[in-house]
Amino acid sequence: MKSDLKNEEKLLKELVSNYNVKGRIQRERRIWINTDKEKLISICKFVKEKGFDHLSAISVTDWLKEGEYEITYHLWSYKRKILLTIKIRVSRKNPSAPSVSAIWDRNAQIHEREMHEMFGVEFKGNDDLAPLFLENWQNSPPFRKDFDWREYVKKECYNKDNEREIVYHE
Amino acid sequence: MNNQVMLESTGKNEYELFFGPAHPGSGNFSVKLEVDGEIVTSARANPGYLHRGFEKLMEYRLPIQNAVLSDRICILEPLNWNLIHAEAVDELMGIDVPERAKYIRVIMAELSRIQSHIIWFGVFSIGTGFDTGFKMAFGYRDYILDLFEMITGGRVYPTGYICPGGVRRDLPKDASEKILKVLDKIDEMVKLEEIENPVLQARARGIGVLKLEDAMRLGATGPLLRASGMKVDVRKEEPYEVYDRLDFEVPVRKEGDAYARYMIGIEEIKQSMKIIKQALREIPQGEYINPQFKKPKLNVKMPKGEVYVRNEGGRGEAAIYMVSDGNTKPYRVKIRGPSFLHMISVLEFLLKGVQIADVPAIYWSMNICPADLDR
Repeated sequence: MKSDLKNEEKLLKELVSNYNVKGRIQRERRIWINTDKEKLISICKFVKEKGFDHLSAISVTDWLKEGEYEITYHLWSYKRKILLTIKIRVSRKNPSAPSVSAIWDRNAQIHEREMHEMFGVEFKGNDDLAPLFLENWQNSPPFRKDFDWREYVKKECYNKDNEREIVYHE
Repeated sequence: MNNQVMLESTGKNEYELFFGPAHPGSGNFSVKLEVDGEIVTSARANPGYLHRGFEKLMEYRLPIQNAVLSDRICILEPLNWNLIHAEAVDELMGIDVPERAKYIRVIMAELSRIQSHIIWFGVFSIGTGFDTGFKMAFGYRDYILDLFEMITGGRVYPTGYICPGGVRRDLPKDASEKILKVLDKIDEMVKLEEIENPVLQARARGIGVLKLEDAMRLGATGPLLRASGMKVDVRKEEPYEVYDRLDFEVPVRKEGDAYARYMIGIEEIKQSMKIIKQALREIPQGEYINPQFKKPKLNVKMPKGEVYVRNEGGRGEAAIYMVSDGNTKPYRVKIRGPSFLHMISVLEFLLKGVQIADVPAIYWSMNICPADLDR
């Protein structure tokens, strides 16, 4: 069943001509665009006005080999029924990005708080980045690709001198 | 008594109150309340008691293993999460799902939604002091668990019944009659729920009012948003599986209080029953799984790419973002549970300024689950 992608194409054209972003239409109701973090806030303000008032999720993908984090903002528009994903890339060393909590309020604030805890991304302008899930966590952020939880558990939870637990060290 | 003494000696009425994690009604979750006399002045959510790191665990496992893992994302609606995971892998790998499998998936997802909504009624009853409702709910829920046992093999966890490519097993021969019989029982339950209970109304009307603009701002989805007056449902706005062929209504109410949410829950059970009856009538014969995936295959490489799959879970918008770098295992999985925002931003907002006695009523009127918050 092939449906026309008129609405999607129109929106993407607008974004490309206004902000010079790279984008593609994956299928019906799915648009992905790549941009850089300097343009992020102005693009977010623009799409908020265009009806994307629900921030579905913020996610981070750790591309270890390239030394970069990819931060993705998944936005849903109840009016247009389109899911727009905005992607930016930031360096893995001292990762930071501007906060969108001024645009999507508490919704964005909580998502950023989680991503800060799990990946260590600093969201500038977010007033509360306190830990959510982990208590007294001193290690590197646990969802980074170079954090090996198997090693961590072996070191922290299993005692070599205990004959019942020695199997985990063999 | 100690509290009393302290309050009298200092002349202050302000203190901290911990709702959960050991509170009988809180689940594996806690909220720290700042209280002045009987009034809550501020609330701060303290999640993390159920954090299992599924997003990370899934990076280490094959899709067929992840299907089993995905049950556990939300304990009370495992089949819905099964479905979302399977859909994400299907879309990423471009797998065709047979028609019959799509119908079975819908039937199972709706049964799962009904039993999750029944629990919602149960815990809301206990939150408002109506203990019989809790026992009633868990009694009737068991009928559906019996169906799950018959169809999937597991009562609570279907262990990856809805898997990439279709479903693990076909419906048993007499499944249709048995499901219809159970639906009659659920009908009984709905009638009991609908009895206008003056005590419950007194406890729930006008409590925890969530206005539409606040709901949008705080990121509420699903039943919460519908109870605040917005007609949204992922099954309607972005139909997956065969929902575009099925006829059902999306209940909406304007009040936005605990009672409106409770009524939305009842209405949704009725709509789910309607969907199941239609699906049972229209279900075609044929394969229940893509023949390629009938025998579980290991080491199937996923093509490079990324997908974002949204579903209507019992609690709201549930989604999975899956990235593959061309390996057998997903490179990154992001799970978006509806309770993540409901239990932090919305709950903190609603608890501000209410009486202590209303805290459990508001808390359980929101149909929340700590498991899909913590993941």
